[in-house]
Amino acid sequence: MAEVSLERVTESERAGFLTTELRIQIGTILGVWASWEALAQSGLFYRDIVPSSLRVFAAMWRHLTEAEFYHHLGVTSYEVLVGFAIGSIAGIGLGILFGVRRFLGRVMDGYILALAPAPKVVFLPILMVVFGIGVGSKIAMAALSAFFPVVLSTVAGMHLINPTLIRVGKMFNASPWQMVTKVYLPSLVLPVVTGLRLGLGVAIIGTLVAEIKLAKAGLGFLAIQNYELFRIPEMYSVIIIIFALAMGANAIMTKLTDRLTQRGMPKVEVSGAA
Amino acid sequence: MAGMLEVRNLSKHYRRDDGTGVHAVDDVSLSVAEGEFVSVIGPSGCGKSTLFSVIGGLVGDYEGDVVVDGQVVRGTHRDIGMVFQEESTFPWRTTLENVAFPLEVAGMPKAEREEMARRFVRLVGLEGFEDRYPSELSGGMKQRTAIARTLAFSPKIMLMDEPFGALDEQTRMLLGDKILQIWRELKQTTLLITHNITEAVQLSDRVVVMSFRPGRIKEIIPIDLPRPRSSEIIATDQFGRYVGAIWQLLREEASRGMVEAENV
Repeated sequence: MAEVSLERVTESERAGFLTTELRIQIGTILGVWASWEALAQSGLFYRDIVPSSLRVFAAMWRHLTEAEFYHHLGVTSYEVLVGFAIGSIAGIGLGILFGVRRFLGRVMDGYILALAPAPKVVFLPILMVVFGIGVGSKIAMAALSAFFPVVLSTVAGMHLINPTLIRVGKMFNASPWQMVTKVYLPSLVLPVVTGLRLGLGVAIIGTLVAEIKLAKAGLGFLAIQNYELFRIPEMYSVIIIIFALAMGANAIMTKLTDRLTQRGMPKVEVSGAA
Repeated sequence: MAGMLEVRNLSKHYRRDDGTGVHAVDDVSLSVAEGEFVSVIGPSGCGKSTLFSVIGGLVGDYEGDVVVDGQVVRGTHRDIGMVFQEESTFPWRTTLENVAFPLEVAGMPKAEREEMARRFVRLVGLEGFEDRYPSELSGGMKQRTAIARTLAFSPKIMLMDEPFGALDEQTRMLLGDKILQIWRELKQTTLLITHNITEAVQLSDRVVVMSFRPGRIKEIIPIDLPRPRSSEIIATDQFGRYVGAIWQLLREEASRGMVEAENV
């Protein structure tokens, strides 16, 4: 570990601020952009299928300066966050329950394992019938998507909990709620965090798919509306913004969860320094 | 004489899914007086740990009774505190937070429980390590944290299941001294489960020798050695005679256990 980081330091020192990896990454983006622009200017394709990046940027500027865009952004964020919260809480709660009640867990295992890899989009028509074509069905879709990775990783984590720690909690007469908050959840931080990361990703996907399919508002709706109106630069603009937002959401999630997983797991360096 | 802890005609069978069963503990009766230190010793597979789990209330479905201070108890009990053989500290809690755990569960306010936990951390000799996590402590220090945590629970009866089982011989001897010092200070009724004869004789008022499966009490030997004792007592003749006598009793049982283990 130490050797790797040492190597990195010398390498980035040699390169100034840019490491080799970063240079290649930036170079790739510039390369793709240049090829895109060359293709757009060449006239080989109908100009609206590969519009000039300048027109895409202009559309992006219009989006980002319009109030309407932020309405759509707000709707999508709301759907993702509420759906993710519902799916995660249900996933963690049921995961712990299935772990504690082993018999129930064995019964439910079959269903969860069968449903987990199935594309959740097949449930979309049902959700639309039940919750309508508005925000409700999008939240339901996000919740359903987030639920499976979270419940799977929680159940897996419950199987790995040190049984002695459970005996310690019981011996000191911890209530069921105290067992959850003081023994199970702290033991589950690592697997649950992994599940939450995956869950947020699929919640975003689920929401956007639902919005693209049938909706009245949201970024997915905005993208498909622009497509239907054949406003291709605007469509690309929305897609790029969605990409950037998804990456941003993932980065924030990583920051938050890193802080969470570091609690009580001191690094070797910390003890060495003390 | 009614003891602080009484075990009456206790038997425990484990049933396996394939219909076979293990008769782990057979008709064990034992009375431990208030403030007494009793060790239970026996070969591997004599049901020591089962006995411990039944008394501690972590295993149900047994015959007989566990009586604490005159009351028949079932399940975990406020007056019984256990120290486990395996590592049992919470890795996400510091030494102080680990020791404060039973007080936190009982709803004691933060300042109060920390002050109390500090006392027990000092008692087991871990002052200066209050803010360390278990991953930064040695095996012996982790076991002392676990002992301090159970002491903080203030049980009338301390049950210890080979708390030094995983430690090296020197650490084990020094911790034995520590246990004696704490026991002198708190005068808690203590039941220690062990397979180490030296440890049993050094610490106990009485040593209960158990037979190989099904676990029965083979003999109870009072240890009539002067107190206070320290690990230096193991060099005396009288100590050696006790060790020899217990080994005589154990040898036959241990060989039965070995034969069975080899035939499996």
